[in-house]
Amino acid sequence: MSYIEAANSLPLYLTVGVILLFIAALCVLFIIKSYRAGVRIGMDRKVLRRAITSSATFTVLPSVSILLGVIALSGSLGIPASWLRLSVIGNLQYEATVAEIAANSMGLSLNATELTVSALSTILLVMTVGIIWGCLLSIFTMKKYSAKLAIGKKSGSGSGGYASWAMVAMMIGLCSTFVGSYIAEAFVTINLVPVITVIIASAFMAFFELLSRKYKVFENFSLALSMLIAMIGAVAVSMVI
Amino acid sequence: MEKDVFDYSKYTDSVHRLGRIGLSIGVIMLLSAPFLFAYFLDAKINWSGFAGAIWSVLIVYVPSCIVEYLIYVPLLGPGASYLSFITGNITNLKLPCAANAREIAEAEVGSKENEIISTLSVATSSLVTMLVIFIGVLLLIPLTPVLESPVLRPAFDNVLPALFGALGYQYFRKSLKLTVFPLSFMVLICIIVPSLMSQTSIMIIACGAISIGLSWIFWKKHILR
Repeated sequence: MSYIEAANSLPLYLTVGVILLFIAALCVLFIIKSYRAGVRIGMDRKVLRRAITSSATFTVLPSVSILLGVIALSGSLGIPASWLRLSVIGNLQYEATVAEIAANSMGLSLNATELTVSALSTILLVMTVGIIWGCLLSIFTMKKYSAKLAIGKKSGSGSGGYASWAMVAMMIGLCSTFVGSYIAEAFVTINLVPVITVIIASAFMAFFELLSRKYKVFENFSLALSMLIAMIGAVAVSMVI
Repeated sequence: MEKDVFDYSKYTDSVHRLGRIGLSIGVIMLLSAPFLFAYFLDAKINWSGFAGAIWSVLIVYVPSCIVEYLIYVPLLGPGASYLSFITGNITNLKLPCAANAREIAEAEVGSKENEIISTLSVATSSLVTMLVIFIGVLLLIPLTPVLESPVLRPAFDNVLPALFGALGYQYFRKSLKLTVFPLSFMVLICIIVPSLMSQTSIMIIACGAISIGLSWIFWKKHILR
């Protein structure tokens, strides 16, 4: 059996399937628990359902992008290992970097012609141990940390209080990091596609927000639709430039 | 009358219990996977290779894990945080997703409503990601040429610009005065040191710190309303 056949063998699929099934079940339990709690504290069922619908539509396109990461990694690590690594913890940037570091430390490169089944297991262990710390911190300190922060002690909606501004500020910082890097990229490498994609997405977000004032249905889909149109725009711009 | 007798602290305790038990089992399963792979493939872990690699990985990623943990838990609340840390893709998916759901629900950060909305959002997002990847894995052979076609490639190369363009519109307009500082900082520093353009995970900490620090000053001076 060749390396790539072994890396794509049935027992590995089953191992990954069982782990992902467990984590999916955990997500379902959290949904049931939080939905019931929401109803019990008097939240409108429509608001709860809208949170689920908008999150599901929001996630589809970035998930396809993550799927591309699975395809990219599967050439060297096989499908089951890539499927596991990109479905839980981590992200493509981390997984690809760490897999390369682990392969290099064994005198190999991330290439199916060089890798062995022993190297595959070792790479997977390095990838897992390297990223597990957020989970361990959550297990051992989350209860105390969130109690200290007094999360969930108050009730209410709207935009009052500094806590809401802290969230807005963090999101502005997060968006500035990415948008700023695309603007800089346009100057440094003259690659205009990302920044034009940003402009298209922003323009359509503004348009859908206006539209959602009249047609509520757009409220849940405005982000996903803006992203989709901007991605189509990226294809069109790439053809022209 | 039902909501009057509901004890929210009991719910919080049960979230922590489920989170701790679920993550403990999840971590054990994830750590077992490489050993199960080795067992099924009749292979052995290369411990010297592992030791050589793990230190350089830990030096870089443990500090960033700790910083992410300290920043994200206050924003997401415990339920969503437990799930975010086990399912990953926090910066590029879970955090924006929860923020979007929170905006739609108009829930205040730190409130019970925000905690519930964030948990629903992150759990749904995690399930959808797993489902999309599962379907993708099932259809990998017919899908690969389509997804990797040169024509469609720019669409998937630009998912993050599309995401942060749309999200940026939502957040930048809340305070242009605040936005101008982290955005200008990021543009200028990346023009001066172009290698930082690809170091977004580190730059998020810098831009986030500038933004949060300034927001506190603006809040104190009543510039933010």
